[in-house]
Amino acid sequence: MTRRLWALARKEMRQLFASPIAYVVLTVYVALTGIYFFQHLVSYNQLLFVYQSEGMTGGGFDQGTVPSQINVLNEVFVPSAEDFGLFLLVVLPLVTMRVFSEERANGTDELLLTSGLRPYEVALAKHGVTYLFVTLLLAGSAIYPAVVVLRGGLGFEHLVALYSGQLFYGCAVASLGLACSAFTSSQIVAAVLGYAIPFVLLDFAWLSNTVSEHAAAILKEAALLSHYGSFARGVIELRNVVYFAGITGLGWLASVASLELSRAR
Amino acid sequence: MTFLPAAGLVMILVGVGSYYATRSLHGLSAFSSANVVLGVALVAIGAVAQARRFRGFSGAESRRVVLRWTALLLGALALVIGVDVWASTFTARLDLTIDRMYTLSEQSVALCRELEQKGGAPVELVFFEDALLAKDVRLLVAAYADSCRAVEVRDARRREPPEAARDIYKTTATTVIACRGDVCDPVGYPSERNITNALARLTRERAIRVYFTTGHGEIDLASESDTGYSGIAALLRDQGFEPQAFVGPAAAEVPADADVVVVAAPERDLMPEELAALDRYLARGGRMLVLADAGQHSNFYSEFLPRWGFTLDDAVVLDRASSPLLRDPKPVNLLVHLFAPYNPVTRNLSQRTMVLLPRARPVDLGRKPQPDDKLDRAAFASQRAWISRDVSQALAGAETSAPDGADSHEISIVATGRYPRGGDEDTSAHEARIVVVGNRDFASNRLLDALYNRDLLLNAVRWLGNDEQHIALSDKGWTPNQDPLTLQQTVAYFYFLAFALPESLLLLGIFAWWRLRA
Repeated sequence: MTRRLWALARKEMRQLFASPIAYVVLTVYVALTGIYFFQHLVSYNQLLFVYQSEGMTGGGFDQGTVPSQINVLNEVFVPSAEDFGLFLLVVLPLVTMRVFSEERANGTDELLLTSGLRPYEVALAKHGVTYLFVTLLLAGSAIYPAVVVLRGGLGFEHLVALYSGQLFYGCAVASLGLACSAFTSSQIVAAVLGYAIPFVLLDFAWLSNTVSEHAAAILKEAALLSHYGSFARGVIELRNVVYFAGITGLGWLASVASLELSRAR
Repeated sequence: MTFLPAAGLVMILVGVGSYYATRSLHGLSAFSSANVVLGVALVAIGAVAQARRFRGFSGAESRRVVLRWTALLLGALALVIGVDVWASTFTARLDLTIDRMYTLSEQSVALCRELEQKGGAPVELVFFEDALLAKDVRLLVAAYADSCRAVEVRDARRREPPEAARDIYKTTATTVIACRGDVCDPVGYPSERNITNALARLTRERAIRVYFTTGHGEIDLASESDTGYSGIAALLRDQGFEPQAFVGPAAAEVPADADVVVVAAPERDLMPEELAALDRYLARGGRMLVLADAGQHSNFYSEFLPRWGFTLDDAVVLDRASSPLLRDPKPVNLLVHLFAPYNPVTRNLSQRTMVLLPRARPVDLGRKPQPDDKLDRAAFASQRAWISRDVSQALAGAETSAPDGADSHEISIVATGRYPRGGDEDTSAHEARIVVVGNRDFASNRLLDALYNRDLLLNAVRWLGNDEQHIALSDKGWTPNQDPLTLQQTVAYFYFLAFALPESLLLLGIFAWWRLRA
C-alpha cells in the first residue's frame, strides 16, 4: 500500500512539475512577495530617516530617539505577512484547480479508483503533494524575511512562527481548493470555487456591519484572517492551529467523500 | 446552466473584493452589496437548476454512501467547530518573539499578585477593538486576561464601558483604558509598560512624594529645552509619583512627608544647616537620590557624601568606546553596559540594555559610616575606560586616548548605600538609602529616553521609594538592530529576489513546457 501511495505521489509530483503552471505560480509568488517586502522595507527605511533627521530630533541626536514601536516587526513583518497571505490566496487555486478535476475530465479517476488504492489514500497523496508545493512556495519567499530577521535580530524563532502560520494557512487554503477541484470536472469552475470560498472566508468584516454584534463575533471567529495575524507577530496559539488543521482536515475529508461518491455512482 | 453559479461566484468575488478595496472610504457600498446579493441569488438559482437535473444515485448502496458521507462531513464539521470552541477557551500559546512581547514581565505579574492579595474593587482594562492599534495590542491584552486574575478585560463593543472611559475615548481615541470603579486612566500608547503603570497608578494607595532640592544651581525641572529636565517631572508624574520642589535655604528641615529627596547636581555649596538637615533626614530613615556631574565643586560632594561612604573625585570618566548614537562621538560620551546583577537599581540592565552617561564622574566607595551599613557599586565603565583629572580639557574633547600609566582599575559610575537605623526589626522600612549616579545629563530631556536611561532613573527612584516590586518596566518590541538593511542592501537583495530568482523559475517553466511539447 505504501509503495502504491508513494508511486501515486511521485506521479503527482511529476505531473505538477512537468507543466509550466507550477513554475509560473512559483515565479509570480516569489516576485510578488519580493516586491512587496521590498516596498515595506523601503517605507521603513524612509520612516527611520525621517526620525533620524535633524528636524525630528533636534540637537544632533541620532538613532536612539526612534521610538521603540517603530521597528522591523511592526513596520515590515506584520504588513508583509498580511500581503503574503493574500498572495497565497491568489496563486494557490491555480495549482489546485487541476489536481482532481483533470483526472475526472480525462476519465482517469476511474483508473485510479480501481488501482487498489482506497479513496482516502488517493486524496492523501494528492493533498500531500500540494502541501509540499505550498512548502516550496513559502521557502522561495522566505529568503528576504530570513535576511532581515538575522540582521535585525528578531530571532530565528520569530521566523519559525511566521512561516508556521503561513504553512498552516496555505495548507488550509490549498485543501479548500482541492476539495473544490474534487467535486467538478471543469478546471475553471474549480478555480472560481477555489477563489470564492477562501475569499469569502478570509474576513467577514464586510458582513459584520449588517448583522448583530453576537453574529459578527461568531463570523469573526470563523474568518481566516482572525486566526492568521498572531503568527506574524511571533505567537503560535493553540486555537489558531486547531482552526487551520480543522479546515485542512475538512478539505481532505470532502475530497475523500467526492471520490467515494464517484465510486458509488 | 453551469454558467449561472460561475457567474454568481464571480459577482460575489467582485462584491467582496470591492468592499476590501474601498472600505477605508466607506463601509459596504451599494455596488458591493448589489454584487454580493445578485451573486448569491445566481448561485442559488444555478444550484436549484442543477439539483433538478440531477438524476440521483442508481442503487440503494449508492444512496447509503451519499447518506454516510454527508453525515460524516457534517459530523466532522461539528467536531471541528466543537474543538475550535474548546481550544479558544484555552490560552495555550507559544510566544516566539525575541523579547517575549506577549508574555507578561515579572514586574507585571508581581503587581497582579499584589492586587489579588489586596482584593478590593476589581481593575478593568477596557479594550476598544475598533481603535487604530487594536490589532497590535490584542495579544498583549489577552496576556493580561490570561495571567492576571485581578484584572478583567472588557470588550467595549460587547459591554458598555464606564462613562469616564467613554469620555477619555472621545477625546483621545486610545485603544486601552484602565478603570477602577468610576476612575479611569487613559494608559497612553498601549505597551505593557504603560498598561502596568496605569494599573499601578489606579491601585496605589498613596502617591510617593519626591522632593527636589533647589537653590544651589540644581537642575531646572521647569525647563523644556533639550538640556532642561522637565522630562523627569513629567515621567515621575506619569508613573504615579508626586514631584515637588524643596527650597533648601528656606527650610529648616526636610518636609516630613518626603519619601525621596533628590539632590540633582548642585553647583554651589549648601549651607551647613542644610547639610545638617539632610543628615537628620537620613538618620531617621530617609531616602536620597544624588545626581553628580563632572566639574562641579559643591561641598555636598566633598563633605556630605563622604560622611555617608561615597567618594566623588573631581574627575571625569573617558572611554574610547563612546556612544556612536551621538553625531560627534567623544570619549566623554560614556556608554555603560556593565552592571551589578543583583543590585535592585540595575536589576533589568545588561549588555543589551545599556545607558548613556555623558560627562560621567567616578563614584567610589569610602568608609562605611557604621559597621552594619552596606555600600555597593552598581554600574561600571568598560575596562578600557580611564579617569582624567583635567576635567576642563577632557570635557573640551582634548583627551582622546588614555595617557601612559592611566589608572585602569574598575571605575564605578553608580553606587548605592543602605543604612539600617533605629534598631527596628523591619529594617527595609526604617533603613536610610542613598543612590549616587555620577551623571546628570542622562536625565536631561535630550537623553532621558535614549537607550535605557529612563530605566536607570526610575529604578533608583522606585527602590528609594520602597516601590522596588515595580522596578522600571521596559517597553518590549525593541529590536537589537532597528536598521537591519541599508537602502543599498535592500536594493541588492531586491534585484536577486524580485528579478533573478523569478527569472530562473520562469526559465525552468519554459524548459518544462518545451519538454512537454517535445
